[in-house]
This record gives sequence, structure tokens and C-alpha cells, in this order.
Amino acid sequence: MKTNRSVSIPWHMIFIGIIIILTFPIIFAVGISFKPLEDAYNNALNFIPTQPTLENYETFFNSLNVVKIVSNTFIIATTVTLFKVFTSFLAAYAFVFFDFKGKNMLYFLLISTIFIPFSVTMIPNYLMISDLGLADSVWGVILPQLADAVGILLLRQSMKTIPISLIEVARLDNLGHPRIMKNIVLPLVKPAVTSTGIWFFILSWNEYVWPVLILKTVDHYTLPLALQMYISSEGGTNFTVAMAVAVITMIIPLTLYLLFQKYIIGTFASSGIK
Amino acid sequence: MQAAKPAKIKFTADHWKAYGLLIPSLIIFILFMFWPFMYTIYLSFFDWNMVKPTKEFVGLQNYKEVLTDPTTYKVFGNTLLYIGLLLIINLIIPYILAFVLDIVLKRFNHLYKGAIFLPSVISLVVGSILFTWLLNPVSGPAAIILGWFGIDMPIWSKLDGWVIVVLSLITSWKVFGYNFIVLYASVNGISREVIEAARLDGVPLWKIFFHLVLPMSSATGIYVFIITIVQGLQYVFTPIKVITQGGPNYASSNAIYHAYHEAFVLYRTGHSAALSILTMAIFILLLILEFKFVERGIHYEN
Repeated sequence: MKTNRSVSIPWHMIFIGIIIILTFPIIFAVGISFKPLEDAYNNALNFIPTQPTLENYETFFNSLNVVKIVSNTFIIATTVTLFKVFTSFLAAYAFVFFDFKGKNMLYFLLISTIFIPFSVTMIPNYLMISDLGLADSVWGVILPQLADAVGILLLRQSMKTIPISLIEVARLDNLGHPRIMKNIVLPLVKPAVTSTGIWFFILSWNEYVWPVLILKTVDHYTLPLALQMYISSEGGTNFTVAMAVAVITMIIPLTLYLLFQKYIIGTFASSGIK
Repeated sequence: MQAAKPAKIKFTADHWKAYGLLIPSLIIFILFMFWPFMYTIYLSFFDWNMVKPTKEFVGLQNYKEVLTDPTTYKVFGNTLLYIGLLLIINLIIPYILAFVLDIVLKRFNHLYKGAIFLPSVISLVVGSILFTWLLNPVSGPAAIILGWFGIDMPIWSKLDGWVIVVLSLITSWKVFGYNFIVLYASVNGISREVIEAARLDGVPLWKIFFHLVLPMSSATGIYVFIITIVQGLQYVFTPIKVITQGGPNYASSNAIYHAYHEAFVLYRTGHSAALSILTMAIFILLLILEFKFVERGIHYEN
């Protein structure tokens, strides 16, 4: 059924308005990051760099060990992603293709952790990480992030679409579970694995709450923590530098999203559907 | 699909192998989720400051102190305000928009979805810094534009109420897109025929929304409702920590930030633990709701 134009045009305007509100801050930050501080202050409404400069980026690179900070962020995000995808894949496989005692209860138990606020686990985790001597270290940031059931939920969702007969045939051919996982299941759920992995990477790249508790030395910081150093409640006197750091922080997640947009949206769209 | 139940011949002989596959996940979850959870309950009965070698058992004293502290009520009041705002912006509005885009407009849906989801991949620390400048009450762009109309931008970071509104908006910048695509997928999954038939009969759109779309996508609606409350409150933590540190005078603190503040700023682990357990109790109520309605299913979509 066709919709009347007098109805549809205002709605399109609303959508465009929302998109402008949502994306404008990003464009604004990119523009400001190439402006000299004085210019940005005096012409606050004009975000187009009329006298483009790299000085904000230079200031950031000169004041902190940026290479170290970016590589810390990258190492943490990659390790967390690989580990979470691997363990979630195994768990999802167990939940979809096996019947075992306590299956439903165990699934319920794991999935309910999605709803546990981090304040409930933060003190013991902090104490444990300190006792293990991992405070202020990469592993101290990584370990507690691994307890995340979202991957199990998403991959189970995807594996459930595989016809069980396919697996049964493989079993009759005496194929072991590792081979079935690698040669049959993995290729079939590859889009879900890819988007789950990218999502985990983005999540860990952006993680702030836990690293801020664990990391003390500036050289051990991740990008969001480095960015935080440039914030004060008034917007700060260094806000053009802050914009440059913000651009560096968001460039990787944005690139990944633009490259894998279709996968990511597809997988997340299904996460709310049981 | 629920309907047909084929005789599922799963791997009968090697069920025990499933436990092997679950071991890595279980170890992680026991170490960093279940054990800490229990330990927080334990800590809520002790007076401690994280440094002293001994913990003093005080029974329910921490709960009593937390429940008689006016700050707790202020913080819980703030939490309710945050929840209300987050639900309006990130559940009601995207629900209506998902319906409009899918049923009424039908065009540009890929473009709209892609653009709306974009901020969801960006760190809230970035969001906090962008909006602190854009909404700077003196020299920021929003203040200048309001100035043209003779309106003074409130100094929101120092004002009760306003501070919560702005921090909720910053958080929504990140949450909105995710919720929108989840709700859109659910609305999109509803059978077209019923809706088109209703439209041909001239049933008004708002009736289609309330009587057809809402009940038929309710499982996802409840999922988004809960996720918005539980994760939304955790997301708000970041702008609170970065911009206001809970201030002015606890006006922007919420239950989760306050637990952090008690533990890592005031070093009162007992209070923090008791507060977290109380918050958790409220969330468990929500969880029961989720599993009662969503998992058992009042209405299943596919």
C-alpha cells in the first residue's frame, strides 16, 4: 500500500533530523581537530578548518607515548576478542548440538549474567587482580572482560539455524566434533562469527570503566583513558587537542563499522528475537 | 520454530563431551562473575576499607546505614529519573520510528538504519568530550545559537535535574541506534498480510501500532526495555565519571556510580557492597519479568 506524500515527507524530515543530530558531533570533532585553538574558540559555529593544521595531533604525539597507548589498546582488544569468540563458539556449539543434564539451567545462568551490573563484581575483581599482581597491567584489564555471555547468545542464535541432519550425517561418517566445528559449522555461521568478533573488538577498544580502575601508569593507558586526560567540565583549554585524540580513538571502530556494516546490523537485529 | 517437534536424534553417546566444551566459559564465569558476586554479598556484612588486614563482621549494619542515609534516596531518585529518560528516548521513540520506517515509509531503510547505528560504535568517553564542548554553556555552539534567540544556556553541569537530562542525552547518543535496529528487526518480522489488510480496511496507523505491532513484537520490546535499564545505567557511568564525578553534591550520581564512589573514593566496601546488592535485587525483579514473558513467550516472533 502506498503512503500519502503528505504523511511521508514530514517523517522523512524527522529521520534526517535525527541522523543530523547523531552524526553531526562526529563531523564537528573531525573539523575542529584540524583547527588552531584560537580559531576554534573565536568561530565556534564554523567547524570547517579554514586554516588547516596538524598542530593538535602533534601536541598529542609530543605529550604522550601515543604508539604505546595505541598498541596497548590494540593488544587488549585483540586478545579479548579472540578469546571471547573462541570460548563462546565452543559453548554455543555445546548448547545447540548436545543434550545434557542441566543444559537449560546452565544456559539460563550464563545468560542472566548479562543483567548483572558491574558494580556487583567490581570490588572482588579488583582485589583478585591486585592479589594476582596484575594491577596496572594488560592482563589485569583483559581477564574480567572475558566473562561476557553476549557471544554465546549471538552464536547460539546463529547455530540454531543449521539443520541438525547435517551434523548427524557427519557423525555417521565418523567425523569428530573438532572437524565438524571447523568444516561444517564454522563456514555456515561465519557472518555471525565475524560480526560478533568485530563487535567484541569495538566494545573492548572503547572499554573505559574497568581499565580506569586497573591502569595507573600513563604508559599503560588505553586510548579512552588518554582521552579522558584532556577533559574538564568546562570543555577544557585544550579542547582542540582533545578533539584530535577523540578522532584517533574513534577512527578504528568507525572504519570497522563502515566495512562490515551489513553483517553487524544483521547480527544485532536478531539479538532481540528469541 | 516451535510447531513441529521432529525426533531430534542428537549425539546420544557422547553427551558428556558438552561439559568439556563448556569448561573454558565456566572457568571464566566462575572466576570473574559468580565468585565475585558471592564475595560482594559476603563483603556487605563486613566493615572494611580494602586496606585493613581484618574485616569486622557487622551483620546488617551496612544495609541499615545505607537505607538510613539520605544520599542513598537521592541517588535512587536520580536513578529513577535516568531510567525514565532513557526509556523515553531509547525505547518509546525508536519503537515508534521503527514502526514508521517499516510500515509507513518503507524507503531508505538501509540508509537510515546504517546512519542511526553509527554512534553506537563510538566510545562514550568520545561522546562525553564532544558534547561537553558542543553544550558548553558559555562558548559552545549550542549556547551561541540559543543566544541569538536571547536564551541563556543553563550551566547544566552545576544544576540539579539539568545535569541528569544532559548526561542521559549523551548516553542516548550511543544507545539509541542499537535499540532502533533491534526494534526495527522485530517489527519487520511481523507478517505483512495482517498489517496490509488492516491498512486497506482503513484502520488508523496508531491503532495498527497499539493493537497489532506492539503485541506482536512484545518479546523484543521487553528485551529492549530491560537492556535499556540495566545497560543504560552502566553506560551512564562513563559520562558521570568523565564529566561530573557524580556532582554537584550527588545530583548526577546513580546507583552504580554511587557504589563505585563508596568503594574507590570513600573506601567503604561494606556500604558499596550493600548498595550493589540492593540494586541487584531490583534488577533480579526485572530478570524474572524477562524470563516470565520473553523466554516462556507471550508471543513468539519466528
